[in-house]
Amino acid sequence: MNELIPLMVIVPMMAALLLSAFSKYDKLIRILAFVVAICLPIIPIVSNYGLHFFGGYEPMVDNVTNILYHPAITYSFDFMQQCFIAMIGLLTFLVVFIYLSKYKKVSGPYLFLLFMGTSAATALILTDDIFHMFVFFEILALAQVGIVAASSIEYSYEMALKYMILGAIGSPMMLLGIGFLLAMTGTVNVTDIVAILRGGLLNVTSPVFLLSLGLIFFGWLYASGLPPFHTIKSGIYSKAEPHAAALLQSFTVISMISIVIIMFRIYSSLPIFEVFIVLFSVIAMILGVSMALTQTDFRRMIGFLAVGELGFIGLGIGLGTQFALTAGLFQALNEIVITALLFIGFGAIVHSTNEVDTRKLGGLLAYHPKVGIMLLIGGLAMAGVPPLNGFQSKLMLVQASLSCGYPELSILTIMVSIATFVVFVKTFYSMFLRPKPHDLEVADKEVPKAMVFTMLILLIVIFALGLFPNVVTSGISNYVGGLLL
Amino acid sequence: MAETQLAILFTSIALVVIGLYAAIFVDNIIKKIIGISFIEEGANLFIVGIGYKAGGIVPILMPNMDPAWFASNASYPLPYGLVLTSIVIGASTLAVMLALVMVLYRKYGTLSTSVMLADTSKQEEYNE
Repeated sequence: MNELIPLMVIVPMMAALLLSAFSKYDKLIRILAFVVAICLPIIPIVSNYGLHFFGGYEPMVDNVTNILYHPAITYSFDFMQQCFIAMIGLLTFLVVFIYLSKYKKVSGPYLFLLFMGTSAATALILTDDIFHMFVFFEILALAQVGIVAASSIEYSYEMALKYMILGAIGSPMMLLGIGFLLAMTGTVNVTDIVAILRGGLLNVTSPVFLLSLGLIFFGWLYASGLPPFHTIKSGIYSKAEPHAAALLQSFTVISMISIVIIMFRIYSSLPIFEVFIVLFSVIAMILGVSMALTQTDFRRMIGFLAVGELGFIGLGIGLGTQFALTAGLFQALNEIVITALLFIGFGAIVHSTNEVDTRKLGGLLAYHPKVGIMLLIGGLAMAGVPPLNGFQSKLMLVQASLSCGYPELSILTIMVSIATFVVFVKTFYSMFLRPKPHDLEVADKEVPKAMVFTMLILLIVIFALGLFPNVVTSGISNYVGGLLL
Repeated sequence: MAETQLAILFTSIALVVIGLYAAIFVDNIIKKIIGISFIEEGANLFIVGIGYKAGGIVPILMPNMDPAWFASNASYPLPYGLVLTSIVIGASTLAVMLALVMVLYRKYGTLSTSVMLADTSKQEEYNE
């Protein structure tokens, strides 16, 4: 069944190309997009774990170094990849479902961008090849720019160009870092590079090795939207359609964890690596939540909260123990679901009021109680309120910080969670609980059923992960244990 | 390290530095994009330099060649394959950037980045 592994990338990519090619035939692309979107979460669930060697080129032993080399691009599929790919697949299905039910005439190129982004994110998390990772990182960035530019929101082109310019600086830096690694090791396969490092064939304290870390790290900061790229990242979320923003943030999380896992495997022997990860994560946590507090555009507010949540993920990975890494990856999975719920829920409010400024909203609980309650639960999950999934992962992060001997980090984690709670309650009060402003017009139209259905599905996932975290954490912990061997 | 490789290294460093200067400090968006292309080409040139071998042959194994002789004389082909992909990606990025610039030029009538990409939130408040 290992043949299914490349299909996780090929199926959405082929679908994207076909949707673009047949964009004139509305009915055909609707059916195709829906059928493929249903398949996306199913393929990783039915696929067996294992490796896939492109072209069938199996690894071979080098006679001189006695190291097992991988001549072909390799995809590695384990429980961790299964969780994230299934989650991305589910989210893509829900987003495509919302899009298809929202518009009478759908756009093939827009669906192309959604599926191409999903394909690139899937490839990022599967690949064991650092250059292959770079290629799909670029494809993903292009898809993200396209999704933002395709929205009808004002200044979306400006934001897309800004994001591209920064990306066009960040990506070549990462490519240069990969080039330095290639120059030192002669390979771009991560397993091979790790084997060379463990075999003592490379001096890890050499300036060139450190330079490669710095350059790849810079690219990672851009991909993750960590400081100094946090404002542009929250900006692109606010300039995309809300359902697309839900998918964009999941792409960011996938980029972040896939690149950082590769960096962790190569550079974790350098103490400076973990220090840098923790440092930038802490800055992201503080900046994200403090900037969210000052926002009046609720899309931008969620964008900054999402950046703050990325800091939690980085913190877990930076601490570097098996438990902390598991907590970080579990937090990543939770953030994908929670932030998607918030973006889609607030999208429903935009649909109803055509307003994004929290100062001009109010009294919406009377009009949309279902959406209000589901958003409240989502916000509580993000703030880490029990028994929701955000609580479980943040509790694990607090425990991990304590067990690593950093009680100050655990205090910071709790404080940022409380600040997140304050930001959300403030926004929720402004939009739903306080009296409705006289000049606010709430359209009588119902919130689209597709949006309510999507929120319900995400809410079920939030409760399931909150009540039964072991279903996911034990598998991720085993995967992480393998990484640390 | 061969002299050619050193020359390639210095040229690629020069390209990256010039490109970074243009991308960060120059206001004209087209010049900024040219700077970005310089950075990309600098990175590509550096990777090409990795595969260079003084006096090496093209890494294509012909039927009449001895594999052992080929292995010791051919250039390292992996960087060339990677750069080929990287050039295609760079071209796609460039095309999308220029397309966005065309749209924004029609909207603002200028190529100045400070006008085009002024903080969008400030613009929104100003418009209100």
